[in-house]
Amino acid sequence: MTTRPRPTSPHLSVYRFTITMTTSIVHRVTGGALYVSSALLALWLAAAAIGGSVFDGVNALYGSWFGMLVLFGYTWALFQHLFGGIRHFIWDSGNGFEPGKREAIAWGNWAASAALTLLVWIVFVWIG
Amino acid sequence: MREPVITPSTIADPKTKYGNAKSSTRHFFTQRLTGAINILFTAFLIYIVISIAGEGREGVVSLLGNPVIGIVFAILFAIVCVHMRIGMREIIEDYVHEQRTNRLSLSLNSFFAIAVGVVGVLSVLKLVFWG
Repeated sequence: MTTRPRPTSPHLSVYRFTITMTTSIVHRVTGGALYVSSALLALWLAAAAIGGSVFDGVNALYGSWFGMLVLFGYTWALFQHLFGGIRHFIWDSGNGFEPGKREAIAWGNWAASAALTLLVWIVFVWIG
Repeated sequence: MREPVITPSTIADPKTKYGNAKSSTRHFFTQRLTGAINILFTAFLIYIVISIAGEGREGVVSLLGNPVIGIVFAILFAIVCVHMRIGMREIIEDYVHEQRTNRLSLSLNSFFAIAVGVVGVLSVLKLVFWG
């Protein structure tokens, strides 16, 4: 007789993606990404402290097209997670749970992170 | 025998070891407090990176070597490490159930957060005090 695994409760795959759910997942993912990226920042600070060819090497790596791509993602993750945190603060205060409002806050989170990321990169990196 | 009465203050006391993290509501509260402070960190980090982008080491030393900027940045960076340690701990508690891997992951998480914090803070302090 063959046995089947016990049925388990349906998980992520059965749900239609909603903006609130996606934003919540992305909040956790960006948190994890920032966790890893903090090592990049610590590495850069250590290189600055050591100086010499170590600092030049790390700077060249971060300034390469791939390094810039990672830093662009890092910037966006920072802002997405920051505004996601503010979204949580709004919820902690007991507001923003109503239908319509919670979706608006989630979309606002994406709009704010996109706008600030582009602002920082366009104004200060590409123009400045 | 009477059951002990569990009040919100009982749960808020880390010594009573409620919850998966055995830290009661301390992690919940610390995560929000450090998260709010991290808004400052983000603003500060963006300001610093923009100010010294493309400059050589002298630019970094003149900005981060400034005691006010350097020491504030070092403190904020340490707070970031507290925040990310609790955050990753929560993820591990959610997804890693097997006891040994759970404990190992939690230890590695603490090690990573502390290592990143120590390297970052010491590097900034080196720039502040020795240039």
